[in-house]
Amino acid sequence: MEIIRNLARRKLRSTLTVLGIVIGIFALTTMGAMAAHFNALLDGGVKYFGSSIQIGPPDGQASILPMSKVDELKRVDGVDAAFPGYGFAAKPGEAATISFGIPDTIVSHDPAEDRYAAIKTTYAQGHDLTATSRGEVVLGSSIANELKKNVGDSIDLPVRPKDAKPDFVNHTFTVVGVLDPTRTAPDNLASISILDAQMLFKESLPVAIRDTIDTTTVAQSIVVFGKPGTSLAELDRIAGRINQQVNGVKATKPSDLVNSFKAGGATFTAITTAAAVLALVIGGLSVVNTMIMAVTERFREIGLKKAVGAHTGHILREYLLEATLIGFLGGAIGYALGVGLTNLLNLAGKSSNLELFLITPTLTVIALGFAVALGALAGVIPAFRAARLDPVTALRTTN
Amino acid sequence: MADIELVELTKHYRQGKTVVRALDGVSLRIGSGEFVSVVGRSGSGKTTLLDLVGLLLRPTSGKVLVDGQDTTRLKDGQRADLRGQRIGFIFQEYNLLPTLNVLENVLLPLRYTKSTVQDDRGRALELIEAVGLGDRIKHRPDELSGGQQQRVAIARALINRPALVLGDEPTGGVDTQTSQELVGLMRWLNREENVSFVIVTHDLELAGQADRMIRLKDGQVLTDEPVEHAA
Repeated sequence: MEIIRNLARRKLRSTLTVLGIVIGIFALTTMGAMAAHFNALLDGGVKYFGSSIQIGPPDGQASILPMSKVDELKRVDGVDAAFPGYGFAAKPGEAATISFGIPDTIVSHDPAEDRYAAIKTTYAQGHDLTATSRGEVVLGSSIANELKKNVGDSIDLPVRPKDAKPDFVNHTFTVVGVLDPTRTAPDNLASISILDAQMLFKESLPVAIRDTIDTTTVAQSIVVFGKPGTSLAELDRIAGRINQQVNGVKATKPSDLVNSFKAGGATFTAITTAAAVLALVIGGLSVVNTMIMAVTERFREIGLKKAVGAHTGHILREYLLEATLIGFLGGAIGYALGVGLTNLLNLAGKSSNLELFLITPTLTVIALGFAVALGALAGVIPAFRAARLDPVTALRTTN
Repeated sequence: MADIELVELTKHYRQGKTVVRALDGVSLRIGSGEFVSVVGRSGSGKTTLLDLVGLLLRPTSGKVLVDGQDTTRLKDGQRADLRGQRIGFIFQEYNLLPTLNVLENVLLPLRYTKSTVQDDRGRALELIEAVGLGDRIKHRPDELSGGQQQRVAIARALINRPALVLGDEPTGGVDTQTSQELVGLMRWLNREENVSFVIVTHDLELAGQADRMIRLKDGQVLTDEPVEHAA
């Protein structure tokens, strides 16, 4: 109680000090939430690309692979399954901006692939596609929310751009499932059957060659899986074998993709650390300053407490607690402001698929823990000064 | 009850190249329930004596015995405990904590010391009543006059039923009438609580109301004699 009243003694000074911590922790929370969002996104990439091998055309060739390669790939030692893949922009013609997430994409999906998926998806509504389903789509949580679709609704895919040319074609699909949020790629995917994807693929080809290609015999890419649980190193070796044994395709080593995702994650972690250091410098120094001034002003009180029986430890504890309280107050306010702002921004960005922030329990613990630790740490020097005061000198100080 | 004994007590300070003999071989005994005043000019060693008896300072040589126990051998923490349990302080500047109210200020010593008092709050209220501030328990120091603040300090000095209360110019900051009232109060508590008082003062009128007056000069006891009271 006395500690709180002591803070209230110099209201302006205490407020400014708390504000220093508020700014630091606010920065830490918002930057941390942004880093957490990207790390979740990148973790998805690490999981997905760390558990599969991406097969594309050899360097410099167009992205069309004969379907026969699927069977060829399955014969390579260590390959357990291979699926043809197709992908299209869900909203073609949308201005190409630097995106903070994965753009909405229509992808082909074979239910048999679920067995191998590293990112397990669950259904908020409805169910999965079947291997032979036609005209059905499963939407990720973000795209469903953005397009305001629920199970049973109809949706035209790809979404017709405002300035669509007369020959623009799309098809009506029925939403049969909506996924729970994963905070990574599946949130932005509209999954359709391979047969439907082949139809869209055909329509995406230039008119001049459209009728010369049977799209049921080609794929845009192929994804290969080892047995569930195959290690990254083993997948790398399988990729090597594919490149040696199968002509006309190029397998990317999963570890290369994983490393590039991890490098991205490291950048965001560095940003968070920078924000934390900023908080440390600004907030910490202002707490040190305030506490030193408080100790100096209260020399006589400290002397009196020692005269009436306080030990060095008592005084040390009181001043450390006061500094910690400043840290906690600043941390709690800064964190609350950070959560408020990130939620507001996420809400504002929801309709345009621009959710940038993710408040995780770890971030909460870090932000509040950091503020408290910072306060305590900043209080150490002033508290020691107070605790080691000679009572005789302290009692006779004239302020 | 208190039995304080000072044996050949010296306190020397080094000031540049010279050594200041603030206290120079003082031997005294203060018995239980005595009311003693210590007088002398500035620099005579009064305050040093008080600080040594109050275990706030360590002597250069000699001993301070409390109930026969040599306190000079005790560690800092043990001295702090002994201060908290056996000694009360009253200062010229009152030294009340501005953020605490009257009751909280009186209870402050119990925060740091294992209480020997049964009912802390009851004891505090009783003392506040005794010093005449029963209607001010929730007041903060800045809402009280100097005399009232010193009454709070007196109650605080007695909260833990100490054996000895040390006063450093306790009436130095108040007018004559208030000074008289404070002395009366201290004398009354001295008898009521059977607690010894050692008061350092410039005020000869106050000193004259003690049972015994010690005069110090240049760090030594000049005289130490009972005070004759008019009947």
